[in-house]
Amino acid sequence: MAGPEADSQFQFTGIKKYFNSYTLTGRMNCVLTTCGGIAQLVLYFKLRPKKTPAVKAS
Amino acid sequence: MNENLFTSFSTPTLMGLPIIIMIIAFPALLYPTSNRLISNRIRTLQQYLINLILKQMMAIHSPKGRTWSLMLMSLIIFIASTNLLGLLPHTFTPTTQLSINLGLAIPLWAGAVILGFRYKFKTSVSHFLPQGTPILLIPMLIIIETISLFIQPMALAVRLTANITAGHLLMHLIGAATLALFSISTSTALITFIILLLLTMLEFAVALIQAYVFTLLVSLYLHDNT
Repeated sequence: MAGPEADSQFQFTGIKKYFNSYTLTGRMNCVLTTCGGIAQLVLYFKLRPKKTPAVKAS
Repeated sequence: MNENLFTSFSTPTLMGLPIIIMIIAFPALLYPTSNRLISNRIRTLQQYLINLILKQMMAIHSPKGRTWSLMLMSLIIFIASTNLLGLLPHTFTPTTQLSINLGLAIPLWAGAVILGFRYKFKTSVSHFLPQGTPILLIPMLIIIETISLFIQPMALAVRLTANITAGHLLMHLIGAATLALFSISTSTALITFIILLLLTMLEFAVALIQAYVFTLLVSLYLHDNT
């Protein structure tokens, strides 16, 4: 299992430094981003205004 | 027939009052306590057995995990003694009730998970993504790992319930079959009786093994989070 002492063996650059599936930080950021994205999707669908159809005059 | 098969699993009452609390508390009466350092033979044997299980189970834990020793030992002794007492005829076994097993599993699992998030947040969160996962699979795997985390307490409770309930049901059925076959064919009844004996021996083993498995899994969840 990767630990803080094993993270130093991976030398990533750019965005991979923060989002990868090898280091603890990278894995944590991936998980938090995915969970945050799902939470945002759920909130969007829950809070969006519901379109009510216009009532036809009889 | 159907009513007789499941009445042994209904909550017992005495003169209309439920006595389940007394039944759950009863196994504690069977274990003698003493304020002496060295006591009688029964207590020495009891201490030896508890120490044996304790050392084997808590060896892998850090000092933080070992603070749960009393909890885990109480858990294994409670489940083992409840399961074994349930093998006596006409007794009620609390661990056949999913409610009781969920009441054991959920708080212990939640306690371990909350401990992990509280003291080792980065490690706990990174458990949701196995190391070396290909990039395209990351979101799917995180969802799968989240689901598998939340299934853990359910699996703990249902495993214990199903094993004990199934064993008791089988014993009941094969016992009834032995009785029914006795008047029809004595040799067949004898074979069924031998099967019943073997099943009873198996149920003794299952009673102890299920207690060990439950406690071991809780201990492993704790180890992952401490």
